[in-house]
Amino acid sequence: MTASLSRIGAIVGADFRIRFRRVSTLIVFLLLSAFAYVWIPNPSTGRTLIQINGQRAIYNSGAIGLGTASLCMIFVGLFGFYVISNAIRRDVTTRCGVIAASTPMRSGEYLLGKFLGNLTFLTTFVVGFMLSSMVMLLVRGEARIEPLVFIGQYLLLTPSAIVFVSAVAVLFESIRWLSGKFGDVVYFFLWMTTIGLVAGNEASHGKIPWARCFDFTSFGFMIDQMQHTLNTHSVSIGASPFDPAKPTIIFPGLTLTREWIVPRLISLVSPLLLLPVAALFFHRFDPVRTGAVTGKGRRNWLGRIQSLFKPLSRRAVTILEIPGRGGSFLGAMWIDAVLTLTLIPFAFVAFVAITITNIFAPPIATLPALFAVLAIIVSDVATRDGRAGTLVSVRSISRLRENYVWWKVGSTLLLSLLLCAAPLLRMIALGPVALGAFLGGIVFVASTATALGVVTANPKTFIVGFLTFWYVVVNDKGVTPVLDFAGFFGHSNANTIALYALISVIALVFAQAFYRARLARA
Amino acid sequence: MLKIESVSKRFRAGNFGVRDLSLEVKSGVIGLLGPNGAGKTTLMQMIATITRPTSGRILFHEQDVAKRPNELRRRLGYLPQDFGVYDNLTATEFLTYFAALKGVRSKKRVMEMLESVNLHGVAKRTVGGFSGGMKQRLGIAQALINDPELVIVDEPTAGLDPEERVRFRNVLSEIGFGKLVILSTHIVSDVESIATEIAVMKNGALLTMATPEVLLKKCEGHVWQSVVASEQFDQLRTTLKISSAVRKPDGVHIRFVGPSPEIVATPAEPELEDAFLYLMNFGEAAKPPPLP
Repeated sequence: MTASLSRIGAIVGADFRIRFRRVSTLIVFLLLSAFAYVWIPNPSTGRTLIQINGQRAIYNSGAIGLGTASLCMIFVGLFGFYVISNAIRRDVTTRCGVIAASTPMRSGEYLLGKFLGNLTFLTTFVVGFMLSSMVMLLVRGEARIEPLVFIGQYLLLTPSAIVFVSAVAVLFESIRWLSGKFGDVVYFFLWMTTIGLVAGNEASHGKIPWARCFDFTSFGFMIDQMQHTLNTHSVSIGASPFDPAKPTIIFPGLTLTREWIVPRLISLVSPLLLLPVAALFFHRFDPVRTGAVTGKGRRNWLGRIQSLFKPLSRRAVTILEIPGRGGSFLGAMWIDAVLTLTLIPFAFVAFVAITITNIFAPPIATLPALFAVLAIIVSDVATRDGRAGTLVSVRSISRLRENYVWWKVGSTLLLSLLLCAAPLLRMIALGPVALGAFLGGIVFVASTATALGVVTANPKTFIVGFLTFWYVVVNDKGVTPVLDFAGFFGHSNANTIALYALISVIALVFAQAFYRARLARA
Repeated sequence: MLKIESVSKRFRAGNFGVRDLSLEVKSGVIGLLGPNGAGKTTLMQMIATITRPTSGRILFHEQDVAKRPNELRRRLGYLPQDFGVYDNLTATEFLTYFAALKGVRSKKRVMEMLESVNLHGVAKRTVGGFSGGMKQRLGIAQALINDPELVIVDEPTAGLDPEERVRFRNVLSEIGFGKLVILSTHIVSDVESIATEIAVMKNGALLTMATPEVLLKKCEGHVWQSVVASEQFDQLRTTLKISSAVRKPDGVHIRFVGPSPEIVATPAEPELEDAFLYLMNFGEAAKPPPLP
């Protein structure tokens, strides 16, 4: 028993040190704290943190506690997953996991250690954020600090999300086909579905009682309690405009009512059931099960589908490579674009599917799905050299060494244009604005994927960031023209196109400056 | 101490990592020699309980390691191929972590191990800044921290400079007393001075296992030396199994192995490199028997 605890403690301790000694952790923490500052605006700007029927809730511990805890809840629930879901993969890539597997450590101990490591990291992060948010009471506060009320908001909203994300991360990492990019996308939609379920349930006055037991994100609880406490549906949280003519209102903070005690407890504890499931799938670093054995080993279903298309994509690639043989910079971009088709035969499937769909369906109807697929395919173009260890070889070619960012963005653009050839042709018929928005959207995706890939060296950053933005755009349904970056709803205009072109340029210039600085240090 | 009975590892695609391999070893340093892809790593992973054999048994102190893996794991030290580190941990933290996983709680033991691999001076430094040799030494320290009876090191000298390789070899030969050390490599010089026995693998099968002396004896009369012109050397390279070639003013001095010299040559004293080359190409079991 003591040996078990000692082993679990060692895993938690090592994970904690590894994560908190990363500069990126500090940067994320500072960015989130800075975002809290924007999230709680100065009321003199005409915006406020919590608006109820147009009335401004004064900045007391309840309001700021709830506002920042809800922000934290989103961070933990969505971005938290992408930050922590590399604990087991790190052990696979460093091969430290193989050593751990050769010790008397039980697989259950290992998974529990990883789960507690995730839990500790996220909890520490939330506590740090909570303390830094308390400072906002000194900056913007309009009432005395009530620490228990403030902490209470965090205790009511964040624990279930922390436990859920920590457990799901361990489960996804234990299942081979969910441990990569596919799992990242699946989690995004899982999180969105969870929110949709509980928020929809509360909007319909709790027609599905059991849905409250799956309120891991705490959104359902928050919506219900806000409606309960304030007797209104007109509430918004986070830098919202308010009516200065109306009197301010005092929001006392959320409390746990009796009918929510059991659902909250179930939401908190039920994700733990995922851990035994993870243990069933856990590979214990067996190279056959982790896929480390050569391509002759076992393939997952996604790999099998990909392999079916390999003969076809190989032939297509052989033909596509011909224009890149000249040795020019453009040729190098083209070859890199074609390489993506070789590495991901699924991209070839996507190309065929996009082309066929665009023959039968109106082009605008397919745009949201097209851009989601495109983003997933191009997400690792700018990161794969670093991850495969070929960056040094690439940098030995002087033209690519100096112009790596331009090479990658060019490659991503060419690949995107190739995949979107059919819709592009059909967009021409819809007029210059629709065509411009579509091309602008492609440039925006290629530029941000490249910039974020170069800066963070991780495709997850772009996938998460873009899919979140995509979700907002799709749900906005074109109401806000400035969000219609690729003309999904035909509401894009010249200003929208110019804005995203500007963002693309800034992202690339920043990435180039960052890359050059890193190159100078190397 | 360790008995391997007709062990095979067949992957789902049908190819073999290891096929019908049997051997028995007690203590000392066993050099597992073979070209890349011979199945050395798969065999070591099976012994280290990382992956299970598809058939056959591995017995450690008469216990089947597939059935009771912890009996072996408690007494095992394992250093895998391409071993990496957690860059942000210090050497002490890294070693303490693996010590805890192995049930070793003594901080003194951690410091002793760092001292034994000459890393005590950098104990507080993060290991991300260590050289390849320092990382390998840290790797061997974690493998030895539980004072194991069985030590498995897989291609430990890959990527090390000559000086580090010699140092690493010395560390391994020192720990060989009273323990069983299995060291896999495809570089003959890594094992020739320290191995008490050498097992040679090819295509997943064990070609032979014997002391270095016996291996040398096996290729006696099959090693030749000659001096040839540069132009002739270019031709001979493709037809002869040349174990060494040195260019000198009078021509290229070559050593080669084979049942007969085929060119004008004189017999030479066999070395382990010659024996390995001979076994790989002309040994009785150079072609492993087909399995169903």
